[in-house]
Amino acid sequence: MLTYYFRLAILSIKRNPVLSSLMIAAIGLGIGASMTTITVNYAMSGNPIPHKSEQLFAVQVDSWDPNNPFREPNIAPDQLTYLDAMALMRNAPAKRQAAMTKVFAVVEPKGDEALPFDATGRATFTDFFAMFETPFLYGNSWGKDADNNNEMVTVLSKQTNERLFGGENSVGQTITIGGKVYNIVGVLDGYRPTPKYYDVTNGAFNDPEDYYIPFNLVAALQLNRAGNTNCWKPTAEDGFQGFLNSECVWIQFWAELPDKETQDNYLAFLNNYAEQQKQLGRFPRPLNNHIQNVMQWLELQEVVSDNARVIMWLSIMFLLVCLLNTIGLLLTKFSTKSAEIGLRRAVGASKKTLFAQHLLESTLIGIAGGLLGLLLAYGGLHGVKALYGSSVEHLAKLDTNMFFVALGLAISSALLAAIYPTWRACNIQPALQLKTQ
Amino acid sequence: MLVMNNIQKVFRTEQVETHALRDFSLKVEEGDFVAVTGPSGSGKTTFLNIAGLLETFSDGQYHLDGIDVRSLNDNQRSRVRNEKIGFIFQSFNLIPDLNLFDNVDVPLRYRKMSSSDRKQRIEQALETVGLASRMKHLPAQLSGGQQQRVAIARALAGSPRFLLADEPTGNLDSSMAESVMQLLEDINANGTTIIMVTHDPKLAARTPRNIFVKDGVVTEKKRSSMDGTDSLIMQPAIA
Amino acid sequence: MELKPILSALLRNKTGAILIAAQIALTMTIIVNSVFMIMERRGDMDRPSGTDEANIFVLSYTGFASDFNEQTQIVEDLDYIRSLPGVIDAIQSNSAPLIGGGWSMSLATEEGPDKNGTGTAIYFADDHAVNTFGLNLIQGRDFNPEDITWRNRTDTNWPGQAILTKALAENLFKEDWRNAVGKTVYISETQPINIIGIIETMQAPWNGWNGLERSMLVPQQTLFGGGRIIIRAEPGERDRLMTDIENGLMQNYKGRLVRNVRSMEEIREISYQSHKGTNTILLVLITALTIVTALGIVGLASFSVNRRKKQIGTRRALGATKFDILRYFLVENFLISSVGVVFGALFTVGLNMLLVSTLDLPSISWYYVPSGMILLWCIGLAAVYGPAKKACQISPATATRSV
Repeated sequence: MLTYYFRLAILSIKRNPVLSSLMIAAIGLGIGASMTTITVNYAMSGNPIPHKSEQLFAVQVDSWDPNNPFREPNIAPDQLTYLDAMALMRNAPAKRQAAMTKVFAVVEPKGDEALPFDATGRATFTDFFAMFETPFLYGNSWGKDADNNNEMVTVLSKQTNERLFGGENSVGQTITIGGKVYNIVGVLDGYRPTPKYYDVTNGAFNDPEDYYIPFNLVAALQLNRAGNTNCWKPTAEDGFQGFLNSECVWIQFWAELPDKETQDNYLAFLNNYAEQQKQLGRFPRPLNNHIQNVMQWLELQEVVSDNARVIMWLSIMFLLVCLLNTIGLLLTKFSTKSAEIGLRRAVGASKKTLFAQHLLESTLIGIAGGLLGLLLAYGGLHGVKALYGSSVEHLAKLDTNMFFVALGLAISSALLAAIYPTWRACNIQPALQLKTQ
Repeated sequence: MLVMNNIQKVFRTEQVETHALRDFSLKVEEGDFVAVTGPSGSGKTTFLNIAGLLETFSDGQYHLDGIDVRSLNDNQRSRVRNEKIGFIFQSFNLIPDLNLFDNVDVPLRYRKMSSSDRKQRIEQALETVGLASRMKHLPAQLSGGQQQRVAIARALAGSPRFLLADEPTGNLDSSMAESVMQLLEDINANGTTIIMVTHDPKLAARTPRNIFVKDGVVTEKKRSSMDGTDSLIMQPAIA
Repeated sequence: MELKPILSALLRNKTGAILIAAQIALTMTIIVNSVFMIMERRGDMDRPSGTDEANIFVLSYTGFASDFNEQTQIVEDLDYIRSLPGVIDAIQSNSAPLIGGGWSMSLATEEGPDKNGTGTAIYFADDHAVNTFGLNLIQGRDFNPEDITWRNRTDTNWPGQAILTKALAENLFKEDWRNAVGKTVYISETQPINIIGIIETMQAPWNGWNGLERSMLVPQQTLFGGGRIIIRAEPGERDRLMTDIENGLMQNYKGRLVRNVRSMEEIREISYQSHKGTNTILLVLITALTIVTALGIVGLASFSVNRRKKQIGTRRALGATKFDILRYFLVENFLISSVGVVFGALFTVGLNMLLVSTLDLPSISWYYVPSGMILLWCIGLAAVYGPAKKACQISPATATRSV
């Protein structure tokens, strides 16, 4: 029976080629537009580390201006001061934790041929790698000793290793960064979280850094920092030490807290620490310390841009218009078939079978529209890449999940659009139709 | 007065050339009631379409009320149809979405006429066909005979000089057909010229003048009013 | 006009009409709000940076060699560049309008902590800045060579004088900005700065900042290990100089990296890339939407003409001219569209209110709504014109044809 319906559906689609292609085009355009924008939003709001996102916490301690919150409404700063970050690194009770900041320097390749180039780096602690489960291609992270003893060690990104060593295992070799020689202890294997959750302050969709070095080198070598710095109070003393002792925030801080107990302990520690600092005349605001897990953090820092959201909702409205359009076209199409439906009813077809027959037809149209929509979404995502440049390159990708979402959306849209016209067509009085013909 | 001389109507498709009317000549006087009969495909409807200015013809002369129809453009033909001709169709052709009042109103809408004037004419026309009380009903709520009476009211509302009826009783049973025919006779008695295409010999027998169309050629059936028997004379309709 | 019968016929076939009206309402909502957002963004993109954009280019340098002496290198580089034919002037600075990265500070008209400050962008530059950027000095004076000092990365002291933009002066002194020259403002809470000049316009480096017009020129040259050089060329010389100077600088000294040599036009392009991208997406969206809606109307109108063939033939037989038939369909569509655009107007304002409350979008200007209504009316009429024209061609003889 199904093959019979199938044949009827194909026949019917072929009989009205213009109406059928209009419908396929309408569904295709609607699906194409909404899938393009949904994909970008999905990538923006994706969970970058799903199995662990509830155990990783961004740390906020509010050391800000007594008169104004860091951000309305009373949101604590997204970064920490050097004083606080160091105090937490020393004493805070976490399974793992790492302060980090963005630095930049010129890398000088060996040999006279290769030209020096600019690179950005992440100065952090060894726990960074274990906490965020960065994959290693060669070698490993540096040890705690390296953190404490200001050892000149570095972990390279895969790209940097390719650029400087042609992808060979470079562990044990050296590299000159900012005029200083570092020992390479590890090479990452294409590590690229989207969003780059551990540093949304400096661009949630930016490329990951080219190299990683122990955090304490920032102070020891007075490295150039590339990241955002915010101050509410002038620094009291001149020089680099003055900056380190200032109320400026410029350090991202993450802790791994596997269960409720460690989380509560950690927050208690933060509040206790803030109280102590108040005794010393710092922390002029009421207590406002938080730990936020990965998804809470992305939400709080508004990682999905308003623009992307607005465009997504507009394109979903566009899909709605396309569906209304399809309903109208289906009504038209089925009404030209009222004679046939009347005849089939008269020779004994039940309403149910007729309904099924016509829904099958709509489903076929939905599938065709969905495939067209996928094609358009594919083109649309390429267009998005071309329009926005490299910053969205890793957002505008259609994965298998999205493929099935698109197809499902297309078919369910087509079915949704088909229900009313089909119902109306199948409710025709058989006698009436036969008489007027 | 309606005068047709040597009207030719040729339908051309790529393969065939069909002569629907050939050398068709007819003269209808003011106040006539003419029944047109003939077998299917003889050209009856083509004749009526040409007479009613619904279709153009290929050759010949046609004067309606002294107007040379050939010289009219599409808009002028619409004007003439609207003002001089009333139509009655076999399948009534009422507009299903409009109530009786609005249906009768349709031809009047295409004239410059005040709304009170229109209202008066519509009510009067529906009065004439005995349906004034059902003005707000939709066509679907009426029987076939009633629908055809509405169609007649619509044809009358514009006070046309000519009434063209295409099988007006073709979709009706005999008692309804009788009442519609009665109505047409009354209208004719009031001076309106009627040309009625029919295949029903009984109806044709009731009209003062009968013409017979076969293969696109007209033949006049002259009837002796004494014995009621028909005598067939082959001759052009007009001298 | 035959409004009443058209209306009563419409009310008996509501579904199609409702579908079209709903499409028109939604389409209008999307189009008007999109166009509004596009125009807002265009308006942002059209704001002048205050500089001679056509002839300026910018390059970045970073010193890395152990023998890199930034102070002598800056002097040497600027002397070299300024001496080249085709160069109008050049400066070393930390940033430039639209570049995206820079330094901001807070200024207050009174001394001391806890005073409400006004944020401003800081450009460190020497006495060639006004000439290099092509700024319009409307009050006071430019820097003198002897005003210029050197600034190290960790310095916290500020020189005692600065040139402010008009917008910054207005923000600090309100209507009294014309008398701002000679007044003192405070930076870092306690350090006084004497205003020596006012420039008409100079944008801050961040195009998304709401204080975009507030900038300040500070008479210092930076020794931050890296910085930018801004060069203004004579008309037509820019592109040649971009390659010449990049190569020249590298030849003169190899211990610093010279990179990102970009014209102001390129910088503007990059700066507004996402603005432009979003506008293009919206434009594509509303174009596709217009086509879909129009095709939908064409489809439904064609169907309605087909369904009413007999009726149209009858009307023609009863005396309707071709124009009467055309008018019937146009009027019918106009009525449907009118319902659509009235709801469209409500939805448009509703969506805008939503965008205003959830995002920081401004309220829509009143004239967008009637313009949108007229546009949708026209789209509807244009879409229905084809099928209506076809309806005119239906022969009056259709009336006598049996089904």
